[in-house]
Amino acid sequence: MTTVDSSEREARADLYVPMSAQVVDVQQMTDLEVLLRAAFDGGRPLDHCPGQFVQVSVLGVGECPISVCSSPTRPDYFELCVRRVGEVTAHIHRLEKGSVIGIRGPLGRGFDVAELHGKDILIVAGGLGIAPARSLIQYVLDERQQFGAFHLLYGVRSPAELLYRDDLTLWRESPDVNFHVTVDRPDEQWRGRSGVVTTLFRELPQLDPTETMVAIIGPPLMFKFAVLEVLARRIPQNSIYCSLERRMKCGVGICGHCQVNNVYACLDGPVFKYGQLKALREALE
Amino acid sequence: MADRIIRHSDLMKLVDEVARKRRIIGPVARSVPECEPPVRYFYEDVERADQLDLSFRYCVYSPKRFLTPPSETLFAFDQDDGGFVAAPQYDRRPTALVGVHPCDIHAIRLYDRVFDLEHRDEHYFARRGATMIIGMDCPGPCTDGVFCKDMGANVAEAGFDAMLYPLGTDTDGDEMRYAVMFGTKAGREWLLYSRQSAAPNADDERAFEKYQADKEAAFSFALRTRREDLAELLGRSYDSLLWDATARRCYSCGSCNLSCPTCYCFDITDETDLASGSGRRWREWDGCHLPEFALVAGDHNFRPKAASRLRHRIYRKAVWIQERSGVVGCVGCARCDRACTAKINSVEIYNQLAEEA
Repeated sequence: MTTVDSSEREARADLYVPMSAQVVDVQQMTDLEVLLRAAFDGGRPLDHCPGQFVQVSVLGVGECPISVCSSPTRPDYFELCVRRVGEVTAHIHRLEKGSVIGIRGPLGRGFDVAELHGKDILIVAGGLGIAPARSLIQYVLDERQQFGAFHLLYGVRSPAELLYRDDLTLWRESPDVNFHVTVDRPDEQWRGRSGVVTTLFRELPQLDPTETMVAIIGPPLMFKFAVLEVLARRIPQNSIYCSLERRMKCGVGICGHCQVNNVYACLDGPVFKYGQLKALREALE
Repeated sequence: MADRIIRHSDLMKLVDEVARKRRIIGPVARSVPECEPPVRYFYEDVERADQLDLSFRYCVYSPKRFLTPPSETLFAFDQDDGGFVAAPQYDRRPTALVGVHPCDIHAIRLYDRVFDLEHRDEHYFARRGATMIIGMDCPGPCTDGVFCKDMGANVAEAGFDAMLYPLGTDTDGDEMRYAVMFGTKAGREWLLYSRQSAAPNADDERAFEKYQADKEAAFSFALRTRREDLAELLGRSYDSLLWDATARRCYSCGSCNLSCPTCYCFDITDETDLASGSGRRWREWDGCHLPEFALVAGDHNFRPKAASRLRHRIYRKAVWIQERSGVVGCVGCARCDRACTAKINSVEIYNQLAEEA
């Protein structure tokens, strides 16, 4: 057993002190998004639920909340898709294999996978929403025998914005998932479908309202239209999950930044049931 | 029944006793000629009891900055190519807050809850655990516009180590006498440590009873809605035009947040020395009325309008904090109303909403 001195024990118990993790792989996915694969020193798993997030630190620059985009069924590492939108994320984009980052988490509430077991699954992802969705997608594929039918719909604005291209090929070819992808604005090379993500609902077979669980992850506008499609298929509101994007700072329900009416996205979410969310006026504005 | 009776001069001796072991923070009179009244009271560090002025009516700010300072280091870090080492920093200086009014005691009890709801914030509790609270009861409203009685915060039954009740001056002199109630063992030990205080006699008991009765008569309600009914009132008022109408005057300056004894939101920032890679991460007060508070990456603002920010603050104070913590989120001290640069008044807001509903 290794001994831990008191200051190290204090650091581990402190809400705000990040743990050290190493970047083991970096993949530039688009102009704006990079995929980091990271692992804790000593190989300790992140031990997260699909849909949870972590606070990623570049010490001296700051911290930002990032969804974990890999599944806990792949415990040797965890992956983070980071869009370059500000100072901290710009620094994250400069990280290389071997760089050290700080991680706090896993934080928040993810998908209740126990509730999903045995059900048919429909995941609808728009834009960057594919990142948190991917932790669940991988989970369902890795635990395939635990689930019924699996449908996955993914939409982005233009082909250049497609993320996880290797995964897309895999999913397209896999018999384990009924996968459809569309782009709003196709370019000349695009051979796939075009139109908003809700147009993909036409590709779905009849859904069993009592046996289907749905996860909708994407920008608020997409969410509104997608939830309409799902409700129209008579799926109850508490069978619909979605994930909210807010700027979590403390990540532990204190600092107030991610508050949505009377809930904290970092604590009560980021994954919510639609039944809970529709009572929150600020959630989808 | 009071636990002890103490005269002002003896109390000062006791405070000086405490000052040998603890930093003392209490009300200090400051001349502010441009204000009316021209003498204002602030909670400040003092070295001796005679620097305190316990005859204060109210302090401009609550003592919250001594428990959760405007800016505080969360941890210091060193880094090299191989990684980083972070050392959390806690302030455990023994401290005594002297002369804390019931409203501010309620606000501290709220902090005790919200910093330990789902996760325990050791930075707060390091200070809190080292802080002794000697309360000062209010015989009547400290100033116009307060609504502490409405919020159930003009009386504190717990949350202090000892509480002083100013009974009035002696019959044989002009020295203030206080009844004292113990809140904790530490408070009891402090008072019984020396012979400065006495057990109350029958006259003292009568004086304390009269004090309580006079106090009861001195406070009145300011809100048309009972505290228990505020949730229902606000539940019906989300779409009221009053938020827009009132917020037209709002400068989004955040003075209400700054002066509020129950506001505790914060932002987190890093600072680093580029050459060494060493630095610190600290937090500082933030305020939900400031336009950038709900701004996220990509320049989307979840509360872009002053009206939505005003509504957010009032909902937090009147309903949401209580829903989460069980402790009411406002203590009715009206510091927000006094601090408001646009004279937005929360009592007025509640009462106008009640009229509308």
